[in-house]
Amino acid sequence: MPSEMDQFVAEVTAFLDAHATRRARAAEDVAWGEGEDRLSYFSTDPPDVENAKVAEAKAWQRTRFDNGFGWLTGPTEFGGRGLTTVHDLVYDGLEAAYEVPETGVLSLIGLGMIGPTILAHGSDELKQRYLPKLYSGEIIACQLFSEPAAGSDLASLETKAVRDGDGWILNGQKVWTSVAHHAAIGLALCRTDPDKPKHRGITAFIVDMTAPGVDVRPLRQMSGGSEFNEVFLTDVRISDDHRLGPVDGGWGVALTTLMNERASVGGEGAGPVGRAVALPFLTELLRANGRLDDGAARRRLAELHADSLATEYLNHQMVRKFRAGEQPGPEASVSKLMYAQNLTRGAHFAAEIIGPRLIADTGAWGTYSWTELLLSTPALRILGGTEEIMKNILAERVLGLPKEPGIDTRSPFRELRRSAGATESRSGA
Amino acid sequence: MSTEDTTSTELDELRSAVRDFMTAKADEQAVRAAIDSERGYDDKIWAQMAEQLGLQSLALPTEHGGDGYGLVELSVVLEEMGRALLPSPFLSSVVLAGTALVAAGGDEAARILPGIAAGTTTATLAPPAVDGSWSLGGRGTGDALAVTASAGAASGDTGDVTLDGTAPLVLDGAGADVLLVIAGGPAGPGLYAVDADAAGLTRTPLPVLDLTRRIAKVTFAATPARLVGEAGGAAAILDRVLDVATTALAAEQVGAARACLEASTTYAKDRVQFGRQIGTFQAVKHKAADMLTRVQVADAAAREAARAVDGLADAPDAGVAAAVAHAVCSEAFLAVATENIQVHGGIGFTWEHAAHLYYRRAKASQLLFGGPAVYYERLLAKAGV
Repeated sequence: MPSEMDQFVAEVTAFLDAHATRRARAAEDVAWGEGEDRLSYFSTDPPDVENAKVAEAKAWQRTRFDNGFGWLTGPTEFGGRGLTTVHDLVYDGLEAAYEVPETGVLSLIGLGMIGPTILAHGSDELKQRYLPKLYSGEIIACQLFSEPAAGSDLASLETKAVRDGDGWILNGQKVWTSVAHHAAIGLALCRTDPDKPKHRGITAFIVDMTAPGVDVRPLRQMSGGSEFNEVFLTDVRISDDHRLGPVDGGWGVALTTLMNERASVGGEGAGPVGRAVALPFLTELLRANGRLDDGAARRRLAELHADSLATEYLNHQMVRKFRAGEQPGPEASVSKLMYAQNLTRGAHFAAEIIGPRLIADTGAWGTYSWTELLLSTPALRILGGTEEIMKNILAERVLGLPKEPGIDTRSPFRELRRSAGATESRSGA
Repeated sequence: MSTEDTTSTELDELRSAVRDFMTAKADEQAVRAAIDSERGYDDKIWAQMAEQLGLQSLALPTEHGGDGYGLVELSVVLEEMGRALLPSPFLSSVVLAGTALVAAGGDEAARILPGIAAGTTTATLAPPAVDGSWSLGGRGTGDALAVTASAGAASGDTGDVTLDGTAPLVLDGAGADVLLVIAGGPAGPGLYAVDADAAGLTRTPLPVLDLTRRIAKVTFAATPARLVGEAGGAAAILDRVLDVATTALAAEQVGAARACLEASTTYAKDRVQFGRQIGTFQAVKHKAADMLTRVQVADAAAREAARAVDGLADAPDAGVAAAVAHAVCSEAFLAVATENIQVHGGIGFTWEHAAHLYYRRAKASQLLFGGPAVYYERLLAKAGV
C-alpha cells in the first residue's frame, strides 16, 4: 500500500505534469556558455518587464491554490491544506524540475512572513479576510518595519498611531520596504504610547496600501535596481479591526515576523545565483579559464564547496527536526549567516578567476554579468537583521551571555536619545 | 547496516549514559593522570567501557561479536569521548583496525574482531606511506609504501609472509596487541596482521603534540605476518577506512569543540573586568557567536556524514559527506580551540588550564589523516573534479 507521502508525491506530479513543462535538463546541470548569463540577487528588470513577471507569479500561485497546493501548511478553514513543512519541502523539490514562474515576489515577504504573523496574531475576521487572498496570489503583502532612525534598533521606531474614534491615524516614514510598489497590504509597527519603555508602546496594524495618505517611492540601491521603497504615511486612517494583537503588544507580533524572516532568508540556496556559486558551475568556470589544475584555485573551490555543502546539511538537519516534531535550535540564524558568507565568497572567487573582463562589458558570456551579484552581496549581511545583531542574538539567547549594560529598556521612549545631536537625552548608549 | 529506527530519544539516552560515565571516570584529573602514565590510558576504564557500556562492540557487526549499530550511534559515543578528551585506543582499535578488518573480511579478520569488540584485544592500523601519510600513491612524497611483504617459507595457502620496513607514525603503535599494516606485495598492496610479540618487531614511542593520543614508530625486520582478506586488496579497504575514520574523527571533533565553546561561554559569564562580565562586551560576544556558528555547522556536517556512511536512504554520497565533515570539523575545532584560549586570556595559556589540551588535540586531529592539502583534494576527487 502506498504511503501517505507517496500519494502526495503522485498527486503533486500529476498536477505539475498537467500545468507546467518539465525542464529539458536538471536545474543543477551546467550549460556553459549557453542562454541567459545574468546573475542578480535583486531584480534589475525595467518596470514593464517586472510587472509582467509579477502578473505571471500571481497567476501561477492562483493555479497552485486552485489545485490545493497554494498553502500546504495552512489551516483548512483559511484555504490551507493542513499538511506539514515536510510536504512543503517535498513540493518544492518536485516543482524544481519544472519550468514555472518565479514567485519570490509573493512568497518571501507575504507568504513567508506576513501570512504566518496574521495567522498567529490576527482576529478570525482578519484571517478570513486576508489569508485566502494572500495564498491564492490575489494580493501581495509588504512589511512596514524599518525606519530611517530605527534599523538594527527596530524598537526605537517613531511612526505614530493615534486613536481617532473607532480607528487610528498613522503618521511617519518607513524604509527598505521590499515589494511595497506591488503590495495591497502592509504590516506596520507604530508607536502608540511614547510614555512606555520602547518595546512596550508599539502596536501592529494591517495597512491598506491603496488608502489615501500612503505614498510609496522607490529607493534605488547600490546594485542599480529598485527593489526597496520608502513608504510615507500621512494621516492614514485605519479601522481598529485591522489591529494585530493587543494595543501596545506589537513587539510580540514583530518577533513572530522576524523569526519567520530568518528562516525565509536562510532557506534560500537554489535559483540561478545559488547554482552559479555551486561546485559544477565554478568547476566549468575554472576549466574555461584554464585554472582547473591551479592548486590555489582548487583549494579555494574546495573550501567553498565544503562550507556550502555543510550549510546544506544544516538545512537538512533542520528539516529532520521538523519532521520529528522537534523545535529547531539556532539552525535558522546560523544558516542565514553562512548563506551570506558562502554567496559572498563564491562571487569574489568567480571574480578573481574572471579577472579584468569583469570590470568592463566586453560582451563575453558569463564575465561582466557577475557584477550584479558582487554589487548585491553586501546587502545579504544587512537584510533580515545585520550580522552584528544576529551574533548578539545568538550569544545572548542561545549561549546565555549577559546583555550589554547601558541599553535602556526601562525608561519611557520619549526620554531616549534618538540622534547623535540630541541633547534632551538621559541615556547615552 | 545501521538502524534507521534508532530514535532520537534512544540516542539521547545513549549520550546521557556515556556522558555520566565520562564525568565519573574521565574528568580532567583522570585525563591528566592517564597522560602521565606509562601506557597513556587507564586500562581499567577501557575494560569498564566494554563491560558496563559495551562501547567497543556497539558498531561492529553481530557476526564478529558486535551489536550491529552504525556510525549514527557510534558518533554519539565519539562526541562524548571527544568532549572529555578521553585518552584511549578507541580510534585506533575500534575505528581504524575494526573498519579495516570488517572491510577485508575472511578468517584472519574473524579471528581478531571478537577480541576488539570485547575490548580484550587492542589493534591499530599503520598509515601505509613511507612518510606516514594515508596515501597508496599519486601526488606528493608519500608514493612509496612504508612496508613491503615478501613470501616466507610458510607462504601459499596460509598467506603467511614476512614484513620489512618502517611505519613512522602509528597511532597507539607501541601498545596495540595486533598491528595491521598495508604492505606492498606481488599482487599489489595488501592488508597484513602482526602480533605484538612477533620476531623482528621494534616499537618506539614518540613525543606527541596531542598528549591524549600516543604515536609510535614501528619497524619490521623479517617480521612474520598474516594476510587479511584478499591479496592486493588494500585499496578498497583503505578507501572505506578513510571514509569511516574521518567521519568518526569528525564526531570527536564536534564534541571537543562544543566543550571549548561551553568553557568560553562559562568563563565569559564569570570573568569580570572594567566592572562588567566580559561576556557583555560585543568583541567577546561576537567571538562566542562565531564559535557557536562553527560548532553548529560542524555538528550538521558530522551527522550527515555518519548517516551517509551508514547508507541511509536520504543521505548524500558517503565519500563526499565524509570529506566535507573531515574538512569542516577539522577547521571548526581548530578555530574554536584557538579562540577558547583567547577568551580565557592569560589563564588559558597556562599548563594547568585544559585549553591547551584541546588545542593540541585540535591541531593533531586536523593533520592526522594528512591535513588540509589532502582533505580538500579528497573532497574534490570525491565530487568528481
